[in-house]
Amino acid sequence: MKTFEEKWTAWLDGQLSGRELTEFEASLPDKAAADAERAEAKKLGTLLKRELSAQALTNDEFFSHQVHERIARESASQSRERYAEVSTWWTIRRLLWTGTASLAVFLVFAVFVIRDKNPAEPSQYLTQILNARVDPVVSPNATVSMFEAKEDRVTVLWTEGLQSLPADYAAK
Amino acid sequence: MARSLPLLTAFIALIMSAAADLHGAETVWSGLVIAENVAQPQAIPPELTRIERPLKHLFGYNQFQVIGQSRKTLQTGQEDWLATSKFFGLHVDAQGETEAGYVLNLKLYKEKELLLETDAKLNKRSPLIIKGPQVGSGQLLLVLVVQ
Repeated sequence: MKTFEEKWTAWLDGQLSGRELTEFEASLPDKAAADAERAEAKKLGTLLKRELSAQALTNDEFFSHQVHERIARESASQSRERYAEVSTWWTIRRLLWTGTASLAVFLVFAVFVIRDKNPAEPSQYLTQILNARVDPVVSPNATVSMFEAKEDRVTVLWTEGLQSLPADYAAK
Repeated sequence: MARSLPLLTAFIALIMSAAADLHGAETVWSGLVIAENVAQPQAIPPELTRIERPLKHLFGYNQFQVIGQSRKTLQTGQEDWLATSKFFGLHVDAQGETEAGYVLNLKLYKEKELLLETDAKLNKRSPLIIKGPQVGSGQLLLVLVVQ
């Protein structure tokens, strides 16, 4: 047993026939208004069919649309990455500043180290004579002095006035 | 990581022991040299080649002959040795090693007579030359070099 709504929908779609159609139209309180409503529904149906079929994408268009969307997505992601690279902390400018600052710190330390070093201090790279003495009995007038020949990296203990000896003493 | 740690330790120990060996295996050459001016000078002895220029420049002689020498390899820096000629003796007493070289006490004897005594820090890269007494027409020089 169909309800009124089911019969109404079937009547709008033109699916009622025979005795069922006659009985339903007879049950309508205002046949003219119902006919007008059915005409409107048909018009709407026609319009929707036309419009919806126009909006539907064909396969080619759908594929093309997807490709375009993907390209747009990847481009956006690449530009985000590029932006991330550019905005990293170590920009060229910051590198230059850091290098300059490091050089300045190095120079300051170098100056302090050089100033702290006593130039009168004997060189660490040459032999040093700590002391020297001659026997005052054997060589009463002997003197000793020392000097460094820095260009040859040689240290010399220079004695004067030691007792002279005959040539025989040069024997091996 | 656990396996590589002992290997690393062994490697470091090996390097350190090798470095210590190298550090303690230096040789000090001590020489008694007669410097003279002669018409036909002989070639300078190989031990003195390194200091030929300052020898000639500072002392003004053209021939240098080794009359006594000693080559001592130092292990502890506490060794002592003697370089002798017929009449002279140079006694060297190493009294410790520093980062730069050795602390030495040097005594020059003429036979048994002490002529000169000095203490010096002999640098490994800086020879020591001592002007000794006049001998005939020449000059006795004492030379110490870390080789």
